[in-house]
Amino acid sequence: MILVVLEHDGQRLRKSALEAIGRARQLEALGPLAGVVIGENTQAVAQEASQYLPTVYVAEVGGYTAEKWAEAAYAAVQKSGAQVVIASGGRQGRTWTARLAYRMKAGLLEDTLETRAEGNHIVATRYSFLNRVTERQRAALPVVLTAKPNTTPPAEPQGSGGVEVLNVALPTGVEVLERLSEQKKGVSLTEATIVVTGGRGLGSPEAFAKVEELASVLGAAVGATRAVVDAGWRPYSEQVGQTGKTVQPNAYIALAVSGAVQHQAGMNKSKYIVAVNKDAEAPIFKIADYGIVGDVHQVLPALIEAAKKLKD
Amino acid sequence: MKFLAVIRQVPDGESRLKIEGGRVDLSGATLILDQMDEWAVEEVIRLQEKHGGESVVVALGPERAEEALRTALAMGIDRAVHLVAEGYLDPITQAEALAEVIRAEAPTLVFTGGQQADWDSQALGPALAEALGWPVVSWTTQIELESETQAKALHDLDEGAERVRVALPAVFTSQQGLNEPRYPTLPGIMKAKRKELKKLPLSAASKAEVLEQTIQERTRLNKLIDGKDPVSAAHELVRLLHEEAKVI
Repeated sequence: MILVVLEHDGQRLRKSALEAIGRARQLEALGPLAGVVIGENTQAVAQEASQYLPTVYVAEVGGYTAEKWAEAAYAAVQKSGAQVVIASGGRQGRTWTARLAYRMKAGLLEDTLETRAEGNHIVATRYSFLNRVTERQRAALPVVLTAKPNTTPPAEPQGSGGVEVLNVALPTGVEVLERLSEQKKGVSLTEATIVVTGGRGLGSPEAFAKVEELASVLGAAVGATRAVVDAGWRPYSEQVGQTGKTVQPNAYIALAVSGAVQHQAGMNKSKYIVAVNKDAEAPIFKIADYGIVGDVHQVLPALIEAAKKLKD
Repeated sequence: MKFLAVIRQVPDGESRLKIEGGRVDLSGATLILDQMDEWAVEEVIRLQEKHGGESVVVALGPERAEEALRTALAMGIDRAVHLVAEGYLDPITQAEALAEVIRAEAPTLVFTGGQQADWDSQALGPALAEALGWPVVSWTTQIELESETQAKALHDLDEGAERVRVALPAVFTSQQGLNEPRYPTLPGIMKAKRKELKKLPLSAASKAEVLEQTIQERTRLNKLIDGKDPVSAAHELVRLLHEEAKVI
């Protein structure tokens, strides 16, 4: 049995959940599929999930803590007898899956790009050394794996399944006092197909508003460099790089970003890299597919206009 | 109270990596205390400075990891424990071995890096917490001890952040913004040489193996447009992205 832990926003499955289902279907040789919806407002989501998976477990455990997610996923593992657990590889996913893997005494394959079954093993491709090395890892079942966002086509609905409620004893230890949400209506950075990132070269937080405008025209997520975040112009949650988020969109548009190694660690696997920088020697141009060597203050407004015209 | 940091030694991000026989060869690389572990060490020292007690640093890794332990001692940690193991060990197996040492130390809390700069793993902190039966707070940017059995922390989520109250002992992983680590001073470096560093041999079988490592650098198109005329440059770029790359 393969168990997919499905991310959702309390209303619908997230794109990352559909990708995780897609990943599970690639491993179908290892057994039938089941899903589990964990969190709050899980009922409607579980109904949606049942259009994709023959069995869906649901654990209404309230807001996120790693302990609760690991506990609920473990309950679903025990109920289903799953030997493989698949989840999305965000910060939260990579936290609770480590707890779960320890509890299952399982091999943990983190942030995988591709996975395939090989007898009773799973072989996975992933990045290491700050995204600079590609490696193949192999682990014997049981295996817990996280799928890197945007690496698997989202699954289509298939058949219909039943929903089964799990009762989970809630672990204590972490009490959430306050949620500081930057959950804007915009596109999630790690799931976005286009990311528009601004660097320190923009000069001011006001100038950064233009980055947001371009992102909004393109339906893109907004990213920031560490320098911009350190300067307090943008929140940490938007930081791309070694200590921020790792993204792999179809297009990564870097505006006034010089492209330090630490920044590249978060975006160097993007399909197309686009850079605007006045310094033709900036390291970002060495990894760029397309670029404009010019002043971002002049180029960016022109890019917004050109993009608007295209979208009209 | 006792504060404990778990650290690793990794190649500096600026170091050139090479591949030898399908494996990353670190022989030419500059090896450092992992930057994210450095934040963990700094926070442990600050907690000790504020609340008293003892500070300990623990590493699981090859012989050379001793250098990183000495760096932590030079920053101000009291003593070190080194679980010596060569080669790749998965985070679950590492957690199992480290938990044994940490259980015996019985610290108030454990701090480690949010992500490892060599194996790109984020799992060690939470796996360790599970092994110890403790809560975990990952990607911590602020921590404040309320008592010996309770702390308040601020930490990053996938989106946004949250403030939590955590029962101690617990495991915390670091995130940028937590602190600005101090540099080891010369007297600190001299003192570190005389501080206790206990070595324990470890033999454990990894639950995951690395089959092959490669460096795949995508060939980039490098089509650069002169931005002297911003309007036409912008139009050309948008055209290329739409018609050629087909990404917008």
